Amino acid sequence: MAMRLHVKSVMYVSKWIEFHNVTFHYPDEDTPVLSDMSLTLSEGEKWLIKGPSGCGKSTLFFLLNGLYPEACDGEVDGTRLLFGKPYDEYRPGEISQSIATVFQDPDSQFCMPTVEEELAFTLENRSIPREEMDLQITRILEETGLTQFRTRVIQTLSGGEKQRVATACALLMNPKIVLLDEPLAHLDPLTAREYVAWFSDLQVKNGWTVLVIDHQDAIWESFFDYTLVLEETSMPPLKAKSAYAKEVKSQQDFRAEVRVPGILHEAKLEVTGGSITVLAGPNGAGKSTLLKALAGLIPKADREQSDETIGYVPQSPEFLFITPSVRQEVSFGGGLRTEEFLTKLLLEGVANSNPFAVSQGQKRRTAIAAMLNDGRPVLLLDEPTAGQDAFALHELEDALFQVAAEGTAVVVVTHDMNFAERIADSMLLLKDGVLSGPFHPANVFSDPSLLRTYRLVQPTGGARDVDVASSLESVH
Amino acid sequence: MSTWLHRLNPSIKMLVTFVFIFALAFYFDPWTPLFVFIAVLVVQLLFSRINWKRWALLMLPFSLGAVGYFWTTYVFGTSDDRLETALSLSFRVFAFSSLSLLFVLTTSPMQFIMSVMQQLKLSPKLAYSLLVGYQFLPVLKDEFIQIRQVQQLRKPQVQKSTLAKLRALPSVAIPLLAGAVRKAEKTAFAMEARGFTGTRDRTYFHEVRLERFDLYFSVVLIVIFTSCLVVGATL
Repeated sequence: MAMRLHVKSVMYVSKWIEFHNVTFHYPDEDTPVLSDMSLTLSEGEKWLIKGPSGCGKSTLFFLLNGLYPEACDGEVDGTRLLFGKPYDEYRPGEISQSIATVFQDPDSQFCMPTVEEELAFTLENRSIPREEMDLQITRILEETGLTQFRTRVIQTLSGGEKQRVATACALLMNPKIVLLDEPLAHLDPLTAREYVAWFSDLQVKNGWTVLVIDHQDAIWESFFDYTLVLEETSMPPLKAKSAYAKEVKSQQDFRAEVRVPGILHEAKLEVTGGSITVLAGPNGAGKSTLLKALAGLIPKADREQSDETIGYVPQSPEFLFITPSVRQEVSFGGGLRTEEFLTKLLLEGVANSNPFAVSQGQKRRTAIAAMLNDGRPVLLLDEPTAGQDAFALHELEDALFQVAAEGTAVVVVTHDMNFAERIADSMLLLKDGVLSGPFHPANVFSDPSLLRTYRLVQPTGGARDVDVASSLESVH
Repeated sequence: MSTWLHRLNPSIKMLVTFVFIFALAFYFDPWTPLFVFIAVLVVQLLFSRINWKRWALLMLPFSLGAVGYFWTTYVFGTSDDRLETALSLSFRVFAFSSLSLLFVLTTSPMQFIMSVMQQLKLSPKLAYSLLVGYQFLPVLKDEFIQIRQVQQLRKPQVQKSTLAKLRALPSVAIPLLAGAVRKAEKTAFAMEARGFTGTRDRTYFHEVRLERFDLYFSVVLIVIFTSCLVVGATL
């Protein structure tokens, strides 16, 4: 094909991508998302892109893979060169053959029912003849070790498997450059590490230039050559946990016994009022199910618990929103301390905004404030840390300490062990529907066999799992 | 031969059923639609392996409609031939609905869209939107249930009455739609990033072809249904 020859003929250019003074405006917005940005990417370089939410990381990716400015009618100034040729001289769809992109959400990047069909979609877009498709699909599945998933329905795969399939779909284009947009956000810690090991292996074999957006850079260890920080944020100093604990007013312990036929064996738990419990375990262990059962959202669950008015914040907090403003949302349940909680959870600035229009972190804090204002003695949070930047995590941490200081018993599901270590008073571990604990966090993190069983890692990425470590070392 | 209806090219099958539904609209006697309905049953018995229980269940609302037509026309009608008109109307409902089900129950949605794209030249942009939308349906259903559940968690009073449930619908719909719009945008970006341009210049993994079989079998169907029309017209 003519266009592939063309890409080959300019391969000698060592600078694969050059951005000179690139500025990007969304339509109808005065301030540019990216301003005067210059960047040069060469063969085989590995870049980590960091910065708070809304600083333009994803925008940069869309400018790199050529979807912007067309896809959003934005306005771009400056020079953008791919293999020495300006971006706008490529034909539609041509750039995506040399730049592959994998997105954060494993559920919304597929358009076909099965793995095989999803892979074929990439080939169809490249007009690969039907006779060649099976060969290419077999080749990429072998290369990525996914052969056993060929005929599986994508919806039935786990998060980690979906992310690998999404990567394989992107790699089918034989790209030169690979962009990963928070690929680990929804994976349990060990699965995330295995993905990193798997991906670095492929990177070495193929020599791609790689750019990764990620908030959890510790998991990537020494993978990156360069780090690009798009915007520095100064974080407010965090009060020590003890500073909140003194404020505890009334304390009420929460005891529960739950069973969900087929998913969750008998789970007994006891959470002290005013304390924070982290619930951890591998993807698909039943963590979300346990929270939902406790909140009374699973009709077939058998449950016996000391309290029935449970506060619950789902992974998508906007599911809870009923009213048109953050303030009304917090006061919806009839609680009298609306203003106090708006202040405590740093929501005064957006109190009159529509809850659907605020940031993800603010949405979650709005939901937490509403639950607190209802006077619910127990608060359950499902994966509040996924895809949150350091700043949002910081604010969440503060919010949770405020909640605990109210005497509320808090249970948090999270894959982020650094976060878990900072907030947890105790830990519950769940695997295959069997709950164990409570454990003291320090005991969990110092026990290698416990960590391995529940697919966790030590905070700050300290201890390595033996298997993963060996394959990582062979890479570097 | 029992699965011929399933094997028939979906575009051809759609055209055949459409043509006869359209043709039936010009017959006002009670017998032609009855013959067509019987022919549909025979064709399904001979050439398909459908789940008859499911078929009966899907026919149930149509049957109720047919009874309704019959009742209103016969009881409240004034003309002398009102029995004939009433029968004609209700048999029509049976004929139209069974013809549609003949198509629906023997065609996989994926195959159908692929065929419409390849034989009837539907734009891939539209066809793939339909396919993705189809994949989203179960996800949206789950989200709908989840949103309703968590919102009930926030409202202390139990809402059991249908009216209360209906009134709560907008507050369920807003998060659902907001999520759907975002998801659709993400999927669209993901598809474009993988080289989807929406042009017709593409190959197909599921090649839906037109074969000799499609010609022969569609002729068989056309002969069967046309003879119903001819016999009906001569009565």
